[in-house]
Amino acid sequence: MTPPALSNIFHWLIGTAILFGCERLGTLASTMLALPVPGAVVGMLLLLFGLMVNGGIPRGLAQISAQLLFLLPLLFLPAAVGVFFLRDLAPADWLALIAAVVIGTLISLVLCAMLLQRLLNKAGSKW
Amino acid sequence: MVVANWLHSSLFALPLSLVAFCIGVYFYRRSGTVLLHPIVTASLIVAALLHTLNIPYSDYQHSSTLLYALLGPAVVALAVPLKQNLAVIRRAGWPLLVTIAVGAVLAPVVAIIIALLFGAGESVLLALSGKSVTTPIALALAEKIHAALSLTAGIVVLTGVVGALAGPPLLTLLGIRDKRILGVVLGINAHAVGTARAFEISALCGACSALAMGLCGALTALVLPLIISS
Repeated sequence: MTPPALSNIFHWLIGTAILFGCERLGTLASTMLALPVPGAVVGMLLLLFGLMVNGGIPRGLAQISAQLLFLLPLLFLPAAVGVFFLRDLAPADWLALIAAVVIGTLISLVLCAMLLQRLLNKAGSKW
Repeated sequence: MVVANWLHSSLFALPLSLVAFCIGVYFYRRSGTVLLHPIVTASLIVAALLHTLNIPYSDYQHSSTLLYALLGPAVVALAVPLKQNLAVIRRAGWPLLVTIAVGAVLAPVVAIIIALLFGAGESVLLALSGKSVTTPIALALAEKIHAALSLTAGIVVLTGVVGALAGPPLLTLLGIRDKRILGVVLGINAHAVGTARAFEISALCGACSALAMGLCGALTALVLPLIISS
């Protein structure tokens, strides 16, 4: 492996700075304006808007984002582990939860697929 | 004594998470089934180790603040694949947007109705409301609406695995062969796990899924707190 070129590191730093900057800005906007929306989501919308205005995606930002999204399961691992340590949930609650997730997901999969197919036929769009 | 302190610090929690994640990724790539999504294996390993070593979950959780701190930037990073796949909207137009909007509401509502029929408590109902949203957004939402973080994460992961497993055969059963419809449906209902599955089917299927996941997540994050607070 060759060490990354200095310009690459520079691009990655810019990408990281953009992500953290948007998150800070979003959190700030969310608390200052008392928005019900989570700050990080405001940050995401800010970045999306910025990218649409800019047209392209800076190289460093694309690479850092891909890395971070690959690591996503690691980031929410601590929260996921907590499922095994939930004590205050009754057995009936567990049953309801699993039924709701399994049956609910199947129903909503089917309904969404049928709706989209119907709408596409109606619009007659060739996409 | 030194060892005991170490077990309860970030110097133990972070390497533990990292190693468990790497093992999870390894098994996922080897097996090729979403049943073994990295988060499933990794969380089982960590939970088993904490249990055997008698480490309270709260210690592990508090030692993992660095990982939590990166969740926010990860949500922001979702804007990148969203932008990359925005072109799909221009071609699919309003049917796509309508389906995503309907699906974002439908998925949690159907789940909550079923949970109500089974007589679930309020904590379960709150955690279910973010079920089909990608985990980082769901966790940020859970904080806003005061739902239990762990319960939310567990529900989201389970939803993703169920959706990604059942989605492709279910659509074949319905006679829907369009891979773009499959992608959108997976993105709405099975978020990141479904998107990973969609990318295995085809690049176009994955792009549709990534787009649907991002829009669905953003939409839920915008609307859900308003519904809960009123």
